[in-house]
Amino acid sequence: MQLSTEEMDGGVTRVELDGRMDIAGAAAVDMKMNLIAGSAKKLLIDLQKVTFLGSMGLRSIVLPARAVLSKGGKVVLFAPTEMVESVLKASSIDTLIPVHHDLATAIAALQ
Amino acid sequence: MSSISFPVAVMPVEDTAKHVSRLTLKSQLDDMALLWPWVESLAVEHSIPADTVFGVHLCLEEAISNVIRHGYDGQPGNTLTVDCASPNAHEVVFTIEDQAPPFDPASGSLIEEQPVTSPMDYLRPGGRGILLMRKFSHSLKYERLAGGNRLAIGFSLPQ
Repeated sequence: MQLSTEEMDGGVTRVELDGRMDIAGAAAVDMKMNLIAGSAKKLLIDLQKVTFLGSMGLRSIVLPARAVLSKGGKVVLFAPTEMVESVLKASSIDTLIPVHHDLATAIAALQ
Repeated sequence: MSSISFPVAVMPVEDTAKHVSRLTLKSQLDDMALLWPWVESLAVEHSIPADTVFGVHLCLEEAISNVIRHGYDGQPGNTLTVDCASPNAHEVVFTIEDQAPPFDPASGSLIEEQPVTSPMDYLRPGGRGILLMRKFSHSLKYERLAGGNRLAIGFSLPQ
């Protein structure tokens, strides 16, 4: 599981996740995700390259998202694959954290 | 070191051959890394489509991590087995057996159908993860054993 970050215009922090968000993958990114959530106010979590999302992976997304939201920030999920999005929908996470497939729309949602 | 062995048993041939593959895991989350190559090999053997394989991974990860974290309370030194069988051409079934105290994820009582009001709703043990398991499998059958639990998770195969 790989994680990379990019500071974009408008104060948006883009976190790109790459790999399987299973138990091992979640453990590999948990600390970095929490550190990022500690400073980010507009967080775009890029899921394009996430090939699997389990409940522990969900936790690794929800906890940092909660940290950002709790301080008045915003979070969006960007471009999950069809199956990853089906997990987001089945768990209703998409009702709490918006999912966008268009980057401009995702960034606009953070403003 | 845990072992992967498949097949360990070939059931009596009836109308359809019933091959059973078994994976034995220790009660530690690290051992779950063995699931991926095992499931991938079974996917080839049983021609399981990619979307279903995704569901298999999701359900097995949830069920097995529940056994390790909650059933065995995170204590090492225990084991659990996962059997894969295809009772007919239309279904593949993964059966998890452990020696933990009773824990029935197939019971509706564990699935609290409460409105989603907080991201924390997803983080409760035995909560939404099990809901996911129910949604991504075709069937869940729980059986209390004399000294453990058996959970059979079924997945439909395309015709």
